[in-house]
Amino acid sequence: MSLRPATPVLSALAALLALAGVEGTHARLTAPREAARLADEAQLVRALGLTDLALFTEARYTRHPALADLATAFQDNPLSFEHFPSGSLIAPPEHFGPTALGFAPEDLR
Amino acid sequence: MSALNRQRALLDFTVAALARRRIKNLALVAVFATVVFLLASAMFFASSLRREAEATLAGAPDLIVQNLSLGRQAMIDAADLPKIAAIRGVATAEGRLWGYYYDRISGANYTVMVPSAADLVPPPGEVIVGEAVPRVRDFKWQGTPLFLSRHEGDLVRFDIARTLGSDVALISADLVLMNEVDFRSFFNVPAGKFTDLAVTVRNPRELSTVVEKASAALPDARFVTREDIARTYQKLFDWREGVMVALAFVAMLAFAIFAAEKATGLSAEEAREIGILKAIGWDTRDVIAMKLWEGGLVSGGAFLLGTVIAYAHVFWAGAPLFASVLKGWAVIYPDFRLTPAIDALQLGTLLLLTTLPYAAATVVPVWRTAAADPDAVMR
Amino acid sequence: MISLHGVSKTYNEGRPNQVTALHGIDLAIAPGVTVFMGPSGSGKTTLLSLVGCMARPTTGRITLDGEVISSLPERFLTDLRRRRFGFVFQRFNLIRGLSVLENVMLPAAPLGEERAVVEARALARLESLGLAGKARMPVEVLSGGETQRAAIARAMVNDAPVLIADEPTANLDTALTHRFLDIVAALRAEGKTVILTSHDPRIIAAAPVTAVVEMQDGTVLEVRS
Ligand SMILES: Nc1ncnc2c1ncn2[C@@H]1O[C@H](COP(=O)(O)OP(=O)(O)OP(=O)(O)O)[C@@H](O)[C@H]1O
Ligand SMILES: [Mg+2]
Repeated sequence: MSLRPATPVLSALAALLALAGVEGTHARLTAPREAARLADEAQLVRALGLTDLALFTEARYTRHPALADLATAFQDNPLSFEHFPSGSLIAPPEHFGPTALGFAPEDLR
Repeated sequence: MSALNRQRALLDFTVAALARRRIKNLALVAVFATVVFLLASAMFFASSLRREAEATLAGAPDLIVQNLSLGRQAMIDAADLPKIAAIRGVATAEGRLWGYYYDRISGANYTVMVPSAADLVPPPGEVIVGEAVPRVRDFKWQGTPLFLSRHEGDLVRFDIARTLGSDVALISADLVLMNEVDFRSFFNVPAGKFTDLAVTVRNPRELSTVVEKASAALPDARFVTREDIARTYQKLFDWREGVMVALAFVAMLAFAIFAAEKATGLSAEEAREIGILKAIGWDTRDVIAMKLWEGGLVSGGAFLLGTVIAYAHVFWAGAPLFASVLKGWAVIYPDFRLTPAIDALQLGTLLLLTTLPYAAATVVPVWRTAAADPDAVMR
Repeated sequence: MISLHGVSKTYNEGRPNQVTALHGIDLAIAPGVTVFMGPSGSGKTTLLSLVGCMARPTTGRITLDGEVISSLPERFLTDLRRRRFGFVFQRFNLIRGLSVLENVMLPAAPLGEERAVVEARALARLESLGLAGKARMPVEVLSGGETQRAAIARAMVNDAPVLIADEPTANLDTALTHRFLDIVAALRAEGKTVILTSHDPRIIAAAPVTAVVEMQDGTVLEVRS
């Protein structure tokens, strides 16, 4: 019997599935090692009191988005986009603080 | 058995029919797989980074107290420390010394810190550096000292006591750790001043009360809780943001083009072929099953190919494609490996988004043709 | 046994280009070999398409072994086409780009038989038509006569009890026509029904033919058996 047309395609799919399986196994096998690494990182974070990932080092608001100044117009605020692309990847922090003046009539007296 | 044979025969026909335009169809799968690859890579990368941030930043200080002056962060007075420490529920409060140093030699920004943990404090005249510092300074031999220059003509020598490994690069690549005396003299920070205060509380549930009392004690200060930090990173690379939106949009556009190309209807040739198949005894169901195989092979194959390569790209090769994007203007980009983290829900969504519309676009136009009388092929 | 009772077929009914291709045909087609002849446009192909369940008559009914088939729902018609009929179309209708063998095997695809069995059968049909050597060639490189034989092989691959062939010998030379007639004789000997249309006097005069139906302007002029 001759080679069926779908056989090479099915073999290719099977090879891809096997590769996916290898990758799944890789994920599973490296999990303990990675957990240990994450624990090391957490340890260092605790020891140094770190607050941010060292992923974007070009500006202080990208290096420490959690601690960035809130009211500075340029450079320090995540809403400024001059540092593309990190500036557009990091969301502005949600803790902008109270945005409206909160006071009651009796406060004015 | 016979159902299996039937499906296999339909599949064989589909492949033989697709093979007639081999180049076109392979190109289709390749483009499709590229789109899936980009999306899946972004997904893997983002969810892995998010997980990393969540796992490590859980150890961040409960509360950071910053002094604000003219809307900018300013040094905080050591005298404020006891005011915070005296608040009930506060376990520890300590002044932190840290700042940025722009290295004119390499053009990189370092984060210089005085560690609070004793085992990380280097002896005088020495520093502990993150993985990237020797790299950007291009240190060729073990024990090369780190010279830091504050201005023209100034050169301060620090010996490197230790380098933090690349295992922890993602949080420490740009760090330069000094002891307090070196830090104050190098940056000219007067005694009695700190960058900010790090506070831990006894019971995390009391944090809001502590913040409330602290803001009464220091009305001009700003308080950043660990929750605020976590929230910042939960949104890191959020799908709706920046480049990801552009990526997703391009991908959607590509799908739309494929789908439109398919859905604008069958060519006369294709319609005739379906008529022939019906005339020689194929059922409407057979024709549709055959077309489903076609859509499934193309889109399913592209999905599998795209995700498998994406995994290898992100978790084996370290996402080199993104590194150049993420590095942006920065000089320092940490040399880190990512922990495989796969969000099954996201992956499932991607699977549905790729296969369903494509399969539908393949099958729907066939429906009407396949349901028509086949007598047109008699003449 | 196939019977037609008052069968007529009108195309594009109610529109200006309305054509009545068949007018009230009454006819019985017995097992054996029936040949339809008649001038071009007399309705031969239309009649074959009605008998082969490719289209429905406008009026009248058609029965196959006593069962009315002209009003069956579509899925039953497909089933009939698949199990009872094998077709050779006037224009062959092979699928371009596929090999001769793949084309011949196509009608068997939905039946769920073992591929090896179908392939052996298809090769045997091609062999009997002198086309085994071309089995792996794409159909578009075949000559007219080879294409016709490939179409005949495809019509016979499912061993259907009724073979319907529209001008099956139009492109064949004398030798190949005789070869085809041998096959027809063998089918007849197996008790099968063969329905042909032809202009070819060699076919009409051939030994296995049991009935000749002469048509003109959508009516049956004469039945000779
Ligand atoms: N789908 C259609 N729409 C309109 N008219 C049609 C259609 N099919 C057939 N006809 C007309 O019906 C008549 C009979 O056609 P048919 O194909 O049955 O003739 P035929 O006997 O097979 O001729 P030939 O020997 O040339 O093949 C012709 O006049 C043809 O134009
Ligand atoms: Mg005709």
